[in-house]
Amino acid sequence: MAYKMLDGNGAAVEAIKMAKVQVISAYPITPQSTIAEQLSDLVATGELKAQYVRVESEHTALSVATAAELTGVRAATATASQGLALMHEVAGMTSGCRVPIVMPVVNRGLAAPWTLWADHGDAMSERDTGWLQFYCQNVQEVFDLTVMAYRIAEDENVLTPAMVCMDGFFLSHSMQKIDIPDQEAIDEFIGPFVTKNSYLDPEDPMFVCNLTGPDDFTEMRYQQKVGFDNSIKVIEKVQKEFAQKFGRKLQIIEGYRTDDADVVLVALGSMCGTAKYVVNKLREQGKKVGLAKVTVFRPFPFRQLREVLGGKEVIGVFDRSAGLGGQGGPLWSETCAAIKDYNSDIRHYVGGLGGRDVSVRTIEKIYNELLEIKNGTRKEHTEWIDVKENAMDIRQVLKNA
Amino acid sequence: MQEQQEKLTNKPRRCRVLGPVAYEYTAANTGSWRLERPDVDFSACIKCGTCEKYCPTNVITIKKDQKKCVEIDFNYCKGCGICANECPKKCIKMVPERSEG
Amino acid sequence: MVELKFYGIGGQGMVTAGKILSEAVSLYEGKYAITVPSYGAERRGAPVNTSIILDDEPVLVNSFVYNPDIVLVSDPSIIDKGVDVSEGIHEDSILVLNTEDEKVLDAYKKYDFKEIYYVDATRIALDNIGKGIPNGSMLGALAATGIVKIDSVESAIKITFGEKAGEKNARAAREAYEQTKKM
Repeated sequence: MAYKMLDGNGAAVEAIKMAKVQVISAYPITPQSTIAEQLSDLVATGELKAQYVRVESEHTALSVATAAELTGVRAATATASQGLALMHEVAGMTSGCRVPIVMPVVNRGLAAPWTLWADHGDAMSERDTGWLQFYCQNVQEVFDLTVMAYRIAEDENVLTPAMVCMDGFFLSHSMQKIDIPDQEAIDEFIGPFVTKNSYLDPEDPMFVCNLTGPDDFTEMRYQQKVGFDNSIKVIEKVQKEFAQKFGRKLQIIEGYRTDDADVVLVALGSMCGTAKYVVNKLREQGKKVGLAKVTVFRPFPFRQLREVLGGKEVIGVFDRSAGLGGQGGPLWSETCAAIKDYNSDIRHYVGGLGGRDVSVRTIEKIYNELLEIKNGTRKEHTEWIDVKENAMDIRQVLKNA
Repeated sequence: MQEQQEKLTNKPRRCRVLGPVAYEYTAANTGSWRLERPDVDFSACIKCGTCEKYCPTNVITIKKDQKKCVEIDFNYCKGCGICANECPKKCIKMVPERSEG
Repeated sequence: MVELKFYGIGGQGMVTAGKILSEAVSLYEGKYAITVPSYGAERRGAPVNTSIILDDEPVLVNSFVYNPDIVLVSDPSIIDKGVDVSEGIHEDSILVLNTEDEKVLDAYKKYDFKEIYYVDATRIALDNIGKGIPNGSMLGALAATGIVKIDSVESAIKITFGEKAGEKNARAAREAYEQTKKM
C-alpha cells in the first residue's frame, strides 16, 4: 500500500486501470474530461493493455462499451451531465441486457441554465434506468467504491451496471491523499472478468436485445428487480471483505453520531464530509445532531435507513437536485417512503445547485432550524436553503416601449 | 443462419440467461411472411437487373445466360412488391400466394 | 486546521500550486490536505483562486475557504480587477505577496493582515526557469511563513514537474524562501 495524491478523476482512473479493463470508449466532457484523457494516455503508453475506441458521442461511448463487454471483456466508460443525458437511451439497454459496466459519473447540473458545476440532477434523472448508484464523500471513496462496484455489479446474482457518482470539481478536481493498494491485492479482490450471462460470439450466436412482447417483458423487468433485491446482500458482503482486506469500512447507510441525536440530516455526496465537520462542531456546543450518509442510492436501502432514523422526531433531507414539480427532491421522496409509518417530522431542503458551495454555514443553518423545530420555537423551515432573496429579479433587460 | 441454428440446438448444455435474448430463430425464414409472390413474364423481360438492385432483402439473382433469367429465393422473399413496382417493362406481376399453393 | 486561499491570474499555475502544497504536507509531513479549486469559465489573464485546507487529521470539510488564515497573492494586480483579497480574514490572518515594489506594498498595507511576507517571485521565476510563472517561487515564500517545510515543497515540486523542470522550479522555490522578507 502506498499513499498517493490524486483528485477524484485520478482515483477513478486508478481503479479502472487496476480492474484491467480491455476496452475503453469514453467521450470527454467537463468535469469528467481528465478521466477520458488519462485513460487514453495509459493506453497510448502501453501501461494499460486495452483498446481505446474514439467515439463521436456519449450515446456511442456507452453502446461500444456495452457491446464490448458482451464479447467477454471488462469495458469502461465515464461521463457527466449532458453526456449522461445523451446516454439515457443506451443506459436502459445496458441494464436490461444485464451488462455489468462500472461507470464513474462526475455530477454536474443539466442545462438550462448552462452549467459546468456540481449538482446531482444528472444522475438523479437516471435513477430509474436500472443502474446501481453509489455516491462518494471523498476521493478515497471514489477509488474504494469503484473497486467494490466491479465486484458488486458483476456478481452473478446482481448483473447490474453501476454508476459511481462524484461531485464535479468538489471531488473530481480536489487533490486528496489516498491509499492505493497493491495491484496483486486488487487482482485478488476483483478477479478477471467472467461472462455470466448473454454474450456475443460468432461461433455460438445469440440475438441480444431482441423485440420482446407483453408475454415476457414483465418477467424481464422482474429479473432486474430481483437483481436489485439481491444486490443489498452482495454490497454488504463486498464491503465486509473490503474492510478485512484493505482496512476501510464503508456502509450502505452511515449513521454518523446518530445514536443519541435529537435531529438527523440525510444527505448524499461530498457535502457529507462538511456535514460531519458541522456535526462535530455543534456537538461541542452541546447540540445533539447527527448525519445519515447515503452511500448507496440505488438500490435504495430503506431497511438500513429505517434503522438509523428510528425514533428521530425531526429529520432533514438535503437534495442537491431541484426535483422540479415533485413534493420534494428524489432523496426526500425515498426517505419519506422508507419511514412512512414513523411519526417523524421530515423537512425537505434543496441546495448546492449548479456548483453552489454547500458550506459549513449552510449546513449549520439547517441543523439550527431543525433543532428549533424540535424545540417548538420554529414552525416553517427554509426549503431552498441557499437561494438568494432577489431570485425572481436577478436579470433585467431593457425593452422598447 | 439455418446452419448455425442446427449446430446450436444440437448442443446438450442449457443455461439460464437473463434479459432479452433469442437463441432459436423460429421466425428466421421470412419467406413464410409472404401473401403475394412476384411472377416474371420472361417473354417481356430484358434482363436489365433493376429488380435485383431494388430488392431490399437481396433475394434476386440475374442469370443472363438462362431463359428464366430472374431467380428468386422464395425462402426469404417477403413479397413486398418493390421489384414489380420498379420493373421498367412492367413484366413482374404480384400474384396471390395461396392460388399457387 | 489551517485554511489557505491562493489568488492569482489564470495561467500562473495557482491550482497547481495548491496541489503541490497539499502534496508537500500530505506526503512529506504526515499531515492531511485537500484542495478545492474554484473553476470558473477560466481563461488566461482572469483572476482565479483556489482553497486549501491543512490538518493533522483527515480533512472532513469539502467546501471553499471563507475565512483564510493565510492568503497568498501571486499577482498584485488582482486588487485592480475587483478582487478583495481581505475577504473573510481575521486578526491573525497572514498575507504572502509577490512583490518587492514599495508602492504595491503600501497598497496592500491598507488591508488588516497581521503580517505580510513578500518577495519578487516573478523575477526569481524568470531567473531560474526562464518563464514568469511564479507558482514554484511563491510556494518557497509560503514556506518562509513556517506552514510547510521548504524541503517538502522542493520534493513535491520535483515529483509534480518531473526531473528537469522540477529541479529548476525547486531552485526557484529555495531562492524565494531565502529572500522572503516579513513586515
